[in-house]
Order: sequence, then structure tokens, then C-alpha cells
Amino acid sequence: MSARAARAGDLARRTALVVWRRSWLIAALFGVWWLVTSRGWVSSVKLPPPGDVWDALGRGFSDLDLWNAIVATLIRLAEGWAIGAGVAVVLGVLTAASPFLEDGIRPLIAGLQGVPTIAFLPLAILWFGPSGAAVLAITAFGTFKPMMLATYGAVRQVPPTLRQAARSMGARGLFFHRTLVFPAAIPGLVVGLRLSWSFAWRSLMAAELIVGGIDGLGQVLERGRELNSIDLVIAVILVIAVVGILFEQLVFARFEHWVQRRWGLEQAV
Amino acid sequence: MAAHPSPVPVPILRLQGVAKSYGARGLALAETSLEVQPGEFVSLVGPSGCGKSTLLAMIAGLMTPDRGEIEQHGAPVTGPGEGRAVVFQDAALMPWLNVRHNVEYGLRAQGVARAERRRRAEEALEMVHLAHVGDRHPHELSGGMRQRVAIARALVLRPEVLLMDEPFSALDARTRTILQDELQRIWLETRPAVVFVTHNLLEAAFLADTVYLLSAGPGRIVQRYEVDVPRPRDEGDPRLVAIRQDMLRRMRSEVERANVRDAGGGAPGDPRVEPVAGLAAQ
Repeated sequence: MSARAARAGDLARRTALVVWRRSWLIAALFGVWWLVTSRGWVSSVKLPPPGDVWDALGRGFSDLDLWNAIVATLIRLAEGWAIGAGVAVVLGVLTAASPFLEDGIRPLIAGLQGVPTIAFLPLAILWFGPSGAAVLAITAFGTFKPMMLATYGAVRQVPPTLRQAARSMGARGLFFHRTLVFPAAIPGLVVGLRLSWSFAWRSLMAAELIVGGIDGLGQVLERGRELNSIDLVIAVILVIAVVGILFEQLVFARFEHWVQRRWGLEQAV
Repeated sequence: MAAHPSPVPVPILRLQGVAKSYGARGLALAETSLEVQPGEFVSLVGPSGCGKSTLLAMIAGLMTPDRGEIEQHGAPVTGPGEGRAVVFQDAALMPWLNVRHNVEYGLRAQGVARAERRRRAEEALEMVHLAHVGDRHPHELSGGMRQRVAIARALVLRPEVLLMDEPFSALDARTRTILQDELQRIWLETRPAVVFVTHNLLEAAFLADTVYLLSAGPGRIVQRYEVDVPRPRDEGDPRLVAIRQDMLRRMRSEVERANVRDAGGGAPGDPRVEPVAGLAAQ
């Protein structure tokens, strides 16, 4: 009993230590922010105090429908990401399976990598009109490039002995790809999903800022600029950061951890 | 004894002048010929780089010889499968499948119905004493258990030829001995023809009816041994130890010959094959 209590206390101490080590700098920055604004060392027109940002956040959620903006953005993100990742996985698997396709597609991808996704936005607007569709296209495209490369890499890294084992048992064709190549590539694909998610998130934010007349966090940010409301702008930036961190840490990190354990890539704890 | 069960044995495998090169790096395996009879246990033993694993991969149909022919029942081997099952050095289990599904994989590839698959997988797992871990995943098993699963996965296909590529070389000595005994027992119960690749001389002699000793640079058969010791065998059997000593001597002299050749002295000696039958019976 007491040993268990001691262990629990130990765990709590260690958790507290981790939280402290990972949050001290952020806390310090907030402290500095509060100090320089409350003492008037920085003009509140350029940098409003934390309290104003907090109020703006509250106003945002009540008046500006920040919730709806977040939901609209996340739906667009999910759609664009799903389309981009889906196409990327199929093409990535095909590319890894065919040296001819690989030779053709790799220089193309390398060329595309050299152009920031947002540079394609004018093209997307001309094709799809200044609407959510253009933003969706850019998000999907931003997802596609890293996911395609990750898929290709994941398939190429399927251990040769696993391939040989499956083939020696008579697996071939579609069965071979469905039951061996695809599942064996999943740990690599999961890494790709996380990477492509952060690319999609960036492309989406940039596109939403530029394309007007739609819902979404980017447009709330843009409205804040138009209204000269720095507190709202900072509040939305914080919201964007929090959404990004939530997905990165809670969704992807956990999923990746689970897959790695299941695939025996790390020792079960 | 076990090698010649009938007066005129019909080989199950026949290799005729099989050779393979590593691209520009020269010959991995010089022209090699051998036969395997139904139910015969053959060991291929030799130092690393002697092409023994290459030879096994070609028999498995996972690699194509540059020259020569490999026939199974007189028909050329063109790809994997067809009564040949392979056990690899690192179990090569699918980590995302549990043990039972790993064992069922080959049956699934062949389109065997679910109930039949389940039944045969249980049977194969019982043969390797692992029926109780069917629901576990490979990373939850020890190295020895994983290798047993790999053996069950091959046995479930009821192969007429079982190909084993250094299956015990990554295991500790104790586990290795246990698995050698189990393999001997399983082979006595099921009697497939086995081609067993190893670099462990005693293991080769302990398990096999016939041992082919290979030498490196390029790989070739330098000696054939018939191990005429009744089963079940014991690793300490003096007859097995005597064969091991002879193989060791032979390997040393091969190394010396290679050194002389590499130093530029003398003509490269012909890779002669001198079958010495029934050494143990002397």
C-alpha cells in the first residue's frame, strides 16, 4: 500500500517536473509581455497587454463566431488533407512499384518542392474562382507533396525479407500489395500523415488569409487587420497555435506511438 | 540410410550447373550441381560469402540463376511457391499480424477457406508447442519463439521441400540446441525434404543425411558427406563430432589454398568435388 502510494507520489513529482521544464520559457515570455505592456514601455497600439488579448478572445468567441470559423477551417482542412493524402498514397505506392514511373515522377516532385504551395493560389483562384474551392485545392496540393514522398519512402523501406517471405508463401499481385506492402508501410505512412498535416495547415492558413468572402480562421485574422485590432490578431494567432499543438500532440503523437508499438518498432511499456 | 530409401531414388530437386554472379563483383556461386531426394535432409554449410544463401534463394525461386537449371520433379523452378516453403534467418514475421494470422498467411494467399485455415494453423502451432500464444503479436515473443512461429508458418503449407536459411544463427546457444532437437523431431514426424543452410558445422552434421561443404571465392561445393547416424541423434555423438573435425580440416586447407592463390603463387587449383561416402561408417 505505502509502496504504491510512494510510487504514485513519485510519478506526480516527475510529471510536475516535466510540466515545469516544458513551460517555464512560455510562462516567462508571458511575464515579459505583461511587464513591458503594463509599464508602458511598449505602445499598446503596437502590442496590447495580455488582458486585452484575453478580452478580444472572449469577444471573438461571442461576437465574431470564432467557433464557427474554427469549425469551418477544420472541415476544410480535413477535406483537403483527405483528398491530398488519398491521391498521394495511391501515386506513392504506384511510384515505388514501377521504376519507370519513379524515374518520371521524381524530378517532377523535386521541381514542385522548389515552389511554395501558396504560389499556386493565383492559379487555383483562376481555375476555381475566389472561393472555398480554391482554398481546398491549395490545401490538398500542400498535403500531396510531402505525403507522396513519405509514401514512396515508406513503401521502399518495407524490409526485403518480409517481401521475400510473403512471396515465398505464394502472395502476389494485388493480394501482395494489400496484405504485405501496405500494412508494412503503415508506420512510415503515419509519419507522412503528421508531416503532411502540418504542411496542409500552413497552406490552408495562407490561402484563407488571401481568399476573401469565406468562413475560417484566416479570414478572422484578416478582419482583425482591417479593423486595426491587434488584440484580435494576436488572439487568433494563439488560437491557430493551440489548434496546431492539439492535433500534433494529442492526435498524431498518440497515433504514431500506438502504431509503433503495434508494429513492434519500440518495446511495449 | 535415410538418404537412399528406395533402390532407384527419383530426386525431388535437381540442380544442374547452377551459377550466380554479384554483378561486377564476380562470381557468388560457381557452377553447382546436386540432387535432393524426397524426404532427404540436406545441409549446405560453409563460411560467409560461399553462396549458400544465394543457392537457397534460387531454389526458393526468389532469385534466378545466371546459368544452369533447377528442377523440382523434373519441372523447372520459375518462381516461389509450389510445395517449397522458406524459413528465414530473422523469422520475417509480419509484425502487424498476431501469431495465428501469421501462420495462416500462406493459406490466405492460396485462397484456403477461413475455417480450414484456422484448423491447420492450430495444428502447425501445436507442432512447435506454441498453440497457447496464437493471439500474441511477434514483438511480444522471444527470438526462439518467433523462429518457431516461422517454422509453423512454413509447415502449415505442408511443403514437400522445406528451405531453411540459417534459421537458428541469431539465437543463443541454449535456444539453438532446443530448436535443433525440435526440428529433428518435426522432420521425423512430417518428413519433408529439407535444404538447411548454416555456417555451424556441428549443426549441419547433427541435422542432415547429407552435408555439402562449400568454400568461398567463388562459392562452390568442395566436399559431400553422408551422415549415416541413426536418429534421434545426440549432438555429442562421436561420429558427428568426427565429421565436424573433418569439415574443419577441409575448410582450413581451403583457406590456405585461397591464401596461396591470392598471394600469386601457383595455379588456381581446380575446384574439385570429391565425394566421400559414408565417412561416419569408416
